[in-house]
Amino acid sequence: MKINGPFIEKLLTKFIREELTKFNFANGILGLSGGLDSTVSAFLAARALGPEHVVGLIMPYGKTFSQDKDDAGELVKLLGIRTHTIDIAPSVDAYYAAHPSAEHILKGNKMARERMSVLYDFSEREKALIIGTSNKTELLLGYGTLHGDMACAINPIGDLYKTQIRTLGRHLGIPEKILKKAPTAGLWDGQTDEEELGLTYEEIDKILYQLADLRQSRAEVLEAGFDPGKTDKIIRLIKNSEFKRHLPPIAKISYRTVGHDFLFPYDRDK
Amino acid sequence: MKVALAQMTPHLGDVSKNLELHRSLIAKAKNDGVELLIFPELSLTGYTLKDLVREVALIPEKDPIFQELKELSRGLPFVCGFVEDKDTGLLFNSAAYFSEGEVQHIHRKVYLPTYGMFEEAKFFAQGKNFLTFPTPFGKVGLMICYDFLHYGASYLLFSGGVDLIIVISAAPGRGFPESGEEVFATCHMWELMGETISRFSTAFVFYCNRVGFEDGKAFAGGSFIFSPTGKMLTRADCTDDVLLTQDLDLDEIRAIRKKWPYKRDNKPEIILEALKRVIQKYED
Repeated sequence: MKINGPFIEKLLTKFIREELTKFNFANGILGLSGGLDSTVSAFLAARALGPEHVVGLIMPYGKTFSQDKDDAGELVKLLGIRTHTIDIAPSVDAYYAAHPSAEHILKGNKMARERMSVLYDFSEREKALIIGTSNKTELLLGYGTLHGDMACAINPIGDLYKTQIRTLGRHLGIPEKILKKAPTAGLWDGQTDEEELGLTYEEIDKILYQLADLRQSRAEVLEAGFDPGKTDKIIRLIKNSEFKRHLPPIAKISYRTVGHDFLFPYDRDK
Repeated sequence: MKVALAQMTPHLGDVSKNLELHRSLIAKAKNDGVELLIFPELSLTGYTLKDLVREVALIPEKDPIFQELKELSRGLPFVCGFVEDKDTGLLFNSAAYFSEGEVQHIHRKVYLPTYGMFEEAKFFAQGKNFLTFPTPFGKVGLMICYDFLHYGASYLLFSGGVDLIIVISAAPGRGFPESGEEVFATCHMWELMGETISRFSTAFVFYCNRVGFEDGKAFAGGSFIFSPTGKMLTRADCTDDVLLTQDLDLDEIRAIRKKWPYKRDNKPEIILEALKRVIQKYED
């Protein structure tokens, strides 16, 4: 699980540069939550493209998470990237006034999709490609909102576990305050990922590494000394979120079908 | 002798752009006094082709692009990779050795990786041979990427009297070494094979890999040359486009064979008969 900071930085900045060149974009855009993942993505994008070619969107919900908003603002100053701040409260509140609900997961998802909608709108206004901020831990557990924070054009950090992103963040010189912050999906005020999942990222990543990277079975993971309850919970989360890692199935009834045997590379003619 | 490995980033599915890239690298190599130039696997087409294979396939006898490549080889022999349309419609992942206006040899990839992230056998027909062919530098044998990870393939070239083993590759990088070096873990696997095969075949090994990203996959570069004594002469880094040039002494081949008589003592007839007996005992 050990990574080499300078090498990963070199690889991922090259990836960002190459992808933008291939798809003919000069600028990248991303949402900034004030958390570690979007900060790492912003650092990588700024180093790959130059800060003048990166747009950060800060999208608070009214006055909640004001600390995160301040941290994101600080980061923007540090990196020298361009930024817009868009309050999503008016549109989310208007929707909830018409369709009230007390379910905070529902509202969290609605907020994530509202941010996605703003991000896509601004990507067009700014002629900028959307740089994703979902990490490998979230992608494997399905710990993200489909068509919300998971939506992007390219994802430089999707093959790095949360704990590896912390190592990379330290190498990139990300402020200690952000490195030490408890990760949160921002679903409601005071929420933290580790509390909601009932596991620490250290525990999760070690088990995910066994299961995904080393292709170990449940029995082998338990034999290696991992806790059965925690292992089973992680296996369950992976299984139940398979749909988030695919495009929806298309009913195949012809000889050649999109998603089945109409098989062209994403980078066609690039 | 001066050899160059063109560690490069082809354009996926765009043969004319790649031909342009070849043209400029050949010109640069000629200018640098290079005597043999090696391009990576599928250098004329890019790697992750999927259903594009048919669109980019070339028929060597007929295609004007092949004619141009032949002309380009006057004064500088080179090896490049392409999709070959052969036997009316079978498509191969092939490597061609061009020299003095002719195609001297074509190798068709035998080991088509089809597991995990790889799906070559879905799109390519399988080659059947590992043959050596004479050149002014000595006997040359070609391999393509995964071919080289099957040591039986190297053994066939060795038994064919190979002096220079040329491996063209489009190997993606995976994993990170515990040592903390700035390379992919998989780079060591290729180097280990390079060292072993060069030393025990008493032949030069040239490994030319590509770089760049396709559909998110990072190709791992790390092109290298080993001498017939198993010594690494040069190695490129894992990420950058580079024309890696190296001077080498072909007399090393003759010299090392005096000390280590592996070539003299090779026993292909015994291996052949023993293999037949092994195969007879195979079960389903």
